[in-house]
Amino acid sequence: MTKISKKGVLLEVKSGVQTSILQFFQDAVEKKIFDAVMLPMKVPSGDSFAWIMIEDSKIIKNAQPLAPIMPVNAAKALKRYTRKGKGKFKVAALLKPCEIRATIELTKLNQVNLDDVTLFSYDCVGALPMQDYIADPKEGDAKFEKLLTDKNWNSKYVKPVCKICDKFSLSASDLHFALNDQELLLFSNSERGEKLITDLDLKVEINLKKWQTYIEEQKKIKLKNKEETYKIVKGMVEGFENLTETFSNCIGCHNCSSSCPICYCRQCYFDSSVAKPNSDVVMMRAEDRGAVSLPLDRIMFHTGRMAHMSLSCVSCGLCSDACPVNIPVAKIFSYVASQTQKTFEYSAGASAGDALPMKEYRLDELGELGELVKSAEAQEGGHE
Amino acid sequence: MDQIDNVLIIGSGVAGMEASLMLSKAGKKVTLVEKLSLIGGKTIKNEETYPNMDCSTCLVAPIQQEILQDGNINVLTSSLVEEVKGDAGNFTVKINKKAGYVDLVACLGCGMCYPVCPVELVNEWEENLTNKKAIYVPCAGALPNVPVINAENCLQLNGTETCNKCVEACMFGAINMAEKDEQIEVNVGAILVATGYDMLDISNIKDLGYGQYQGVYTAMEFERLFAANGPTEGKLVMRDGEKVPSSVAIIHCVGRSQTHYCSNVCCMASSKHAHFLHHKLPDAKIYNIYSDVCLPDKTYQKFHEGVKATSSKFIYQLDRDKMKISEENDKLKIDYLDNTGKNSSIQVDMVILANALKSAEGSGELKEVLGIDHDKFGFVEAQPFRIGSIATSKPGIFVAGCAEGPKDIQNSVIQSEAAVAQIMSLLNR
Amino acid sequence: MSEKIGIYVCECGPNIASKVDIEKIMQELAKLEDYKDKELVIKNHKLLCSVEGKKFLENEINENNLTHLVCAACSPRDHDTTFINVCKKTELNPYLYQIVNIREQCAWIIPDKEEATSKAIRMIHGGMDRVMYQQPLEEKQLDSNPDVLIIGGGIAGMEAAITLASKDRAVYLIEKTDKLGGKSAKLKELLPRQGVTLNNLQQKISDVQSNRYIKVFTNTELDSIVGFLGNFEIVIKNVKETDNTTELLAGAVVVATGFDLTNISSLDSYNSNKEDEIYNALEIEEMLLANGKITMQNGNEPTKVALIHCVGRPEVGYCSKTCCDYLLKIAKLIKDQSPTIEVTELYKHMCLPNKHDEEFYEQVQGKGVDFIKIKNAEVHGTTINLTDITDAKKKLDVDMIIVGTAMVPAAGTAELGVELNIDQHETGFFQEAHLKINPISTNTDGVFVVGGAHGPVGISESMLQAQAAAGKIFTQLIPGQKIIPEVKVSEILEAYCTGCQTCLEVCGFGAIYFDEDKGISVVNEAICRGCGNCVGSCPSGSIRTRHFTNPQLYQEVKEALR
Repeated sequence: MTKISKKGVLLEVKSGVQTSILQFFQDAVEKKIFDAVMLPMKVPSGDSFAWIMIEDSKIIKNAQPLAPIMPVNAAKALKRYTRKGKGKFKVAALLKPCEIRATIELTKLNQVNLDDVTLFSYDCVGALPMQDYIADPKEGDAKFEKLLTDKNWNSKYVKPVCKICDKFSLSASDLHFALNDQELLLFSNSERGEKLITDLDLKVEINLKKWQTYIEEQKKIKLKNKEETYKIVKGMVEGFENLTETFSNCIGCHNCSSSCPICYCRQCYFDSSVAKPNSDVVMMRAEDRGAVSLPLDRIMFHTGRMAHMSLSCVSCGLCSDACPVNIPVAKIFSYVASQTQKTFEYSAGASAGDALPMKEYRLDELGELGELVKSAEAQEGGHE
Repeated sequence: MDQIDNVLIIGSGVAGMEASLMLSKAGKKVTLVEKLSLIGGKTIKNEETYPNMDCSTCLVAPIQQEILQDGNINVLTSSLVEEVKGDAGNFTVKINKKAGYVDLVACLGCGMCYPVCPVELVNEWEENLTNKKAIYVPCAGALPNVPVINAENCLQLNGTETCNKCVEACMFGAINMAEKDEQIEVNVGAILVATGYDMLDISNIKDLGYGQYQGVYTAMEFERLFAANGPTEGKLVMRDGEKVPSSVAIIHCVGRSQTHYCSNVCCMASSKHAHFLHHKLPDAKIYNIYSDVCLPDKTYQKFHEGVKATSSKFIYQLDRDKMKISEENDKLKIDYLDNTGKNSSIQVDMVILANALKSAEGSGELKEVLGIDHDKFGFVEAQPFRIGSIATSKPGIFVAGCAEGPKDIQNSVIQSEAAVAQIMSLLNR
Repeated sequence: MSEKIGIYVCECGPNIASKVDIEKIMQELAKLEDYKDKELVIKNHKLLCSVEGKKFLENEINENNLTHLVCAACSPRDHDTTFINVCKKTELNPYLYQIVNIREQCAWIIPDKEEATSKAIRMIHGGMDRVMYQQPLEEKQLDSNPDVLIIGGGIAGMEAAITLASKDRAVYLIEKTDKLGGKSAKLKELLPRQGVTLNNLQQKISDVQSNRYIKVFTNTELDSIVGFLGNFEIVIKNVKETDNTTELLAGAVVVATGFDLTNISSLDSYNSNKEDEIYNALEIEEMLLANGKITMQNGNEPTKVALIHCVGRPEVGYCSKTCCDYLLKIAKLIKDQSPTIEVTELYKHMCLPNKHDEEFYEQVQGKGVDFIKIKNAEVHGTTINLTDITDAKKKLDVDMIIVGTAMVPAAGTAELGVELNIDQHETGFFQEAHLKINPISTNTDGVFVVGGAHGPVGISESMLQAQAAAGKIFTQLIPGQKIIPEVKVSEILEAYCTGCQTCLEVCGFGAIYFDEDKGISVVNEAICRGCGNCVGSCPSGSIRTRHFTNPQLYQEVKEALR
């Protein structure tokens, strides 16, 4: 774990936070520190946003680093980008904290390679739900602009998972754009970040304590939101009846897993032949239970997906955005993930150095059994 | 003279079994001669082996099965080598296979013949701790799982009276009272002596109390006591079948003054016994009385320290010849000189004597038959160093395992594998 | 070809027949709904594993042209191989057969006959369902390379080389220094029980050099190695000019990289510097080789010498096995050199594991060497403060101290282990495949460890271990013989693999490699043992083990869980 620097660089915010950030990247690309930078930009052919890899520094000013929506988790974009061709181009990418977390999780699964990527994060107010924004993009833009100007960290307009997100600030990125009520600061969070600041010859003068205190206060509010929300969610999923009712509208489109950055399997288990049994299996079940719904496994899809990826779930909320029948998938999975991750004392995406719980084995995880094994080892002197 | 590609292996302990399987894999035909009616040697008498407490049956049973099913290995149990003629590359060997009176192929090992036999005998394999019938396998799980009949005591075979109870009980017609000893002649290119060890008879050593006091056991008796297939099925009770000891002393180096060599395995075996006792009887007081501790493997010290820390009090005695065991007030009293030379004593319910290893019974005669030298201790003398310590004084005859000197399972296996290398070189010349 | 399934229920004498209703089983099996369109041959037999039973089975397969076979009998540990071998004698592929254990898993554990019968029927039904999903796997045959790479030119390496090399088997011996002989070449004299003089050791070196089937590479070490038993691709490199490489092919590797001695400067109980007359055994041997006698730095003979055993033992945690012996030898040499030199041996335990050692010990005692059993000792310069076994504290001022230091694995052992994919024991020496019954092999087939790399060891034992490795190689890697790798191996489905490499990390045999171009993991079928660890670990379910696929296993348990 790299130590957080105690000091940061003060950036000029006369023309606004977004402009400042863009200027920073423009300078960096012009100075050839990076070959390109990946930023969100409003697509010319509509009202949505997309991740754009910008090579021409003059185009950078058209990007919108703090975008109001998140149609694609940047981790997915990075996955496709870094798959092959290591060592050729140095790029920078500005991601929301949840996207950083997703990226880190994917590095542990060898899906993303960060050798040539410098990750920037920022203090995130959240994103608006896709459907709200699409219904009236102008209204959405205005709302979001106001959020940023007011520095409203607890807005009622953002996605449900954003409302309860206490991890909206520093993550495992290389550098972080810190926002407090007045300033925009940039500080390094890794060796690579340190090097960049040195290469850019930036003055590291401002003490971060004020910012830290500011952020801690916002976090408290978010944590309270989280506690309250999880209580409600618990009621929605505890017990078979509640669970089935909550997912009763599910049409089995699998959009949630398609949009999830963590669900990286080329073929989802629940799309494979196992999930498409032939007639004798179906009839066998029908015989056993009297009647059976088709397709067979709807709840299984969700509980199965929880079992497969909840340890890596970063609560980014893309799943809810993608659900056509408005099942609050994100809140639910966020709640389940918080429980499963707690069991393994694991925080998804917090650090590249934390091994995935399913890949690592520690004696103390076994509780009482682990204690027995440990004491037996001590006595027998090396039981294999 | 023609070179013969077959090999004779005498002794079916770990060393003999390893060599058999290796040679069979290389396409050689092996005659495996074993004097007892079961294969597996001494390892199968232990419940657990140090330092990892591997269950020895789990270790050895698959190997035994493989050997019994291997088409290249002809296993002759209850057999002894009687005559050897010839030279390296071409030996003619006469083997006497004692009649067992039970057909190896027809017998299923169903065990219906044991309950009906009227004769009870002491079971020497079980260290005389329990009885067997005149038709018997030495222990549960013996392989081959085919009984033999002790002719001297069988009422039918020794002519006392007509008794066909076992024959009648057998559903497969596997018992044949008319069977005779068989003389088998084989031609082999090389011979491996892997006859193992026996324990020193300590009943004549003064002041040990063995045979005199009920509570004094040899290490091998204790091994059978805690074996799950042993006389008490692993229950730690003393000879009366009821008393559970509340204190046990394990004495190292018993008989060493007689043998004049360290038996290599007993310090670890004694630590193993202490470990086992502590697990079975967590409230019992356990002592190990020792002079020097010999732990000749990279894994042994850790085990030993663990035992010292948790299971037993290790007491140093200054002069092992001055130790005396006597009985006092229903307990066994051990008088010894402590580290300062002062007279000390402890009182315990049970004493386990870790007695020395010596070369196996009958190996002296075997060495005569083979025409190979033995050292002054009675072990086979291996030619040191020139071609590695497993060639005997006679070319073409090799030795492996405890037949050459006391050693643990690991080193017996290593010697056996080395012997195979020498045998292969000889046969492929 | 239409399917014809043979189902044979073994009675196992009274073992199975008395506990289940064989007739009922056969009747019910004949009536199974899902098999009414298939041809079934259902018979029973008293004892399928007997010679007669096996012949019966063979005839049945042939005469009925069976396409699938189910044997309801005992544990696969007992007779799976037996029935597989019967299949091999016929046209029936042995992987289209399944054994169902209705003895240990049914007859022997269920007292109620009706219950046992019902369970047996279900189990056999499951076996039939499974066998219908099995694939006719074919055993492959690979050419094997009988040659051997030996890493390390000490006594163990040389002994292995001499034993193994022949016109049918080349040996490549690589040694990282410029000389063969290792530590043994530094010795002046051996133990009496070793029976021969050093000339024998020196003879080994010239035997190796003059053997035309042994190619010696000095100043050389291992660069990389991939492959498996019978088929290793090796690159070796010059120690100084690392670009100067050579490629070799071999079928087995013998690791004989030896040991080092602990340095006393790393031990707390030793406070001394270079000027002090403290030597370890190898330094004494060097001195003897150079001058023929033991002298101090000023050239004079010492008047008082102390030999200390077990130095460094508490720190390493194991006995080094050879030091009691060689310290006795050195004590005797000193006394032979000059009987007036006072020689004291300080030891914690006298470890004499060889049958001749005690005799030697008594001989050395007879030479007037003083032996003190100690609890601990602290060294300052050449002054020793000790507590002996009687708890008495003593001070010993001597001219020279000779220490028996712990043997540790040679430098570079860990890195070599990684390259060869063999495990290290917690002491740093290499880990055997099995401590007791497979002490020279490692977890990688075809790689053996001998000598000081294996653990503390004397010369005779090193040579024995080297020969043991030779024995293993002679019997596993016969020139001209083919290797038949395991057939029931894992395979990774290319279309589904995401290249997360989790399987690589859990494979204990190094049988999976990563294809950089395709971005996926691939199983090397010749090394894979079919343990299935990778199958369980794959997050996307892309791996399956042949003969144990999900559909096959599902069919087997489906009936039981109905």
